[in-house]
Amino acid sequence: MVSLDQVTASTETFLSEKWGTPVTVTEIKKIFGGASRETYRMQLDVDGESRGIILRRDPPSSLIDTERELEFGAYARIFPTDIPVPETLFLENDKKYLEQPFSIMSAIDDCQTDVNPLSDEQKTKLGHEKYTILGRLAAKDPLLLGFDELLSVPDVDQCALEQLAYWQGVIEDDEIHPQPIAKAAIRWLWKNPPPPAQKVSIVHGDYRTGNFLFDKNAQITGILDWEMCHLGDPLEDLAWSMDPLWTMAAPELAGLLIPQDEAVSIWERESGLSCDPEAFRWWRIFVSVKAVAIWISSSEDFEKGQSKDSILAIAGWVMTDRQNRILLDYLAPDTSEQGRAA
Amino acid sequence: MIPLTDQSLRNLSQRILVTLLPEFSSEYAMSDAASLALLMNAIADELAEGIQRRLEDIVEMQTILSGCVTTGVERDIVERTLESYTLKAVNERHDELTKLLVIWHEKSESDDALAALAADIWHYLRHHANRHAITAIP
Repeated sequence: MVSLDQVTASTETFLSEKWGTPVTVTEIKKIFGGASRETYRMQLDVDGESRGIILRRDPPSSLIDTERELEFGAYARIFPTDIPVPETLFLENDKKYLEQPFSIMSAIDDCQTDVNPLSDEQKTKLGHEKYTILGRLAAKDPLLLGFDELLSVPDVDQCALEQLAYWQGVIEDDEIHPQPIAKAAIRWLWKNPPPPAQKVSIVHGDYRTGNFLFDKNAQITGILDWEMCHLGDPLEDLAWSMDPLWTMAAPELAGLLIPQDEAVSIWERESGLSCDPEAFRWWRIFVSVKAVAIWISSSEDFEKGQSKDSILAIAGWVMTDRQNRILLDYLAPDTSEQGRAA
Repeated sequence: MIPLTDQSLRNLSQRILVTLLPEFSSEYAMSDAASLALLMNAIADELAEGIQRRLEDIVEMQTILSGCVTTGVERDIVERTLESYTLKAVNERHDELTKLLVIWHEKSESDDALAALAADIWHYLRHHANRHAITAIP
């Protein structure tokens, strides 16, 4: 673990080298809850001007085993489009500065991620924007944006099963105790494959309320956390955004913002795609399996890895428990309201 | 022995939340400490009830599996008795029965004659999930 003083000093050295002018860190804050990277927000003085940056440093272990190049590359390719993301500045793999690789992006000022304090009107506005942006992302051609340089391009009829095989592998590799509910869900998913994707899209991979910044006018200013980005069926992002885990306080609302059917309508209009109910049911169950994989993987990291970050334990214990109950609601014969709605 | 072990852990958690947390100057340290205190409460619940919950799972799995297992090896697994009540021993016993339950759950899905077994297993999984629900963390 590095201290704030080390991060400050190394950042000053690194950026002074890169920009060829003295850089001073005037303020630094470590942000809690960065699941896959240690995240620091810094205010800099560069040639008498103040600017903010976000530095993301690889930890010894993380919730999601991802390639930093992928996340950085996704941000860089999305930045010129109408999808708001922070501007990428540097990706540094040399460990001489901070003992681990890191990336630096421009900070987006005066923003927040917590929707709970918002009025109903603001939530509605934010919800419309959230699903408008997701629809636009689904509509984009990943090849035109160069995503094939970063990621493999699946066939439309393999998007679902490739993802299923991957996350099944994570569960089998990382489970500390047997996972009978997730295993039953995986069998169901293999036996009931969805139709081929309508198109291969850029899938954010963790598109949920909490992973975007918005300003005081409830305008989204940055979509964050692209580390699970891949190419695949755009219904995956739509399903993930509506997983009951994110909406326990208001299950009828997509991402705690707007009614689910409204979210789907906006997404369909903006993407030019349709949300087939049967296909969507498959993706809703799949994203819960994917989530279980991430949560038990964090348990495994917490027990066996170098990091003892409390966020790993919370994810590993609490989220696994809740996600398993969501899967039961979907699949157990005495399915509850939640399951029938899926 | 440590008296009132689970309550002692809750008391330590309370100490972090009420006394230490306000002393921290960084938001990061405050958030981390609050999370640690909540996790300690969850562990306290597990300390108090965890063995009992696992034993209830074990009995329920034994009841389900004793009606369906066919081989001698499987019957040995179902009928084996616990060697001790340490958490490690109970976890190992729970795991071996769960692995067998997964096998029979899969079999029950492809054989209509085993529909009742499938229903019993789903009921068990719901009981299991409810029994182990973590309520100490909002």
